Amino acid sequence: MFPSFVENPQNCSFEGQDADEKILLLLRAHPITNLSWIISAFLLVLLPFLIPSSLFFLKVDTSFLPPLYGLVLAVINYLLVAVIVFEGFLYWYFNVFLVTDKNIIDVDFNSILFKNIDMAPLKNIEDVSSSISGLMQSIFHYGNVFIQTAGAARNFEFNNVSQPDRVADFILDQSHKINNSPNL
Amino acid sequence: MTALTFDNIVNSAIFLLFVKGAVLLILIFYAIFALLIIRQVDLMVKTLITPVSPVLKVLAIVNATVAIGLIILVWGVL
Repeated sequence: MFPSFVENPQNCSFEGQDADEKILLLLRAHPITNLSWIISAFLLVLLPFLIPSSLFFLKVDTSFLPPLYGLVLAVINYLLVAVIVFEGFLYWYFNVFLVTDKNIIDVDFNSILFKNIDMAPLKNIEDVSSSISGLMQSIFHYGNVFIQTAGAARNFEFNNVSQPDRVADFILDQSHKINNSPNL
Repeated sequence: MTALTFDNIVNSAIFLLFVKGAVLLILIFYAIFALLIIRQVDLMVKTLITPVSPVLKVLAIVNATVAIGLIILVWGVL
């Protein structure tokens, strides 16, 4: 439903896309990278069930607290769960790397209300490398793709993307196509 | 278990008032954060336009509405 590696995505566009520009590849971080906030949310879901038994075990008297207060605190806890899940999903879903037939684009939302978009033309790409390191990346086959661009333009790093070797090959192929095209 | 004395009743009433204040403060901060999330989602869906975008916008608005509604509810109920 929410793939992290999409070739020729349909019904998808981005801010600043030219009329004749086509998205060839859409990349997100591998879904397994969401595990940290999923575990946090899961533990918070369990918290209202664990607290009463813990207080009983520690012999803390909470009889003066009306049941309604406990309910409200549980609701606040679940609001926190909702915001962790929603924010976690938003950051994963909208932090994308795009390869179009003209450019490579790195869209970053690092924190709330902070947006950073890096763009570089495919013809400026000089070198592409990929790396898979560590246990999780080796098991789930994801890693980083490093793209070196010509001149003073900044370099690109696509972090935690699925199939980084395939992505690197794809970008290099597109770059060769552009550089070898007779219209250049 | 503690005995039900006048001091205990006053102390627990002050404590409950403190809890109510703290809960309201948390909910007000949450509501502000929820409103910021609406702006954030707006920014995100304008940057990457996908079929999921309207759903996420609605979810953000529902979240903020619930947060504001909860402030009113807690103010009245607690």
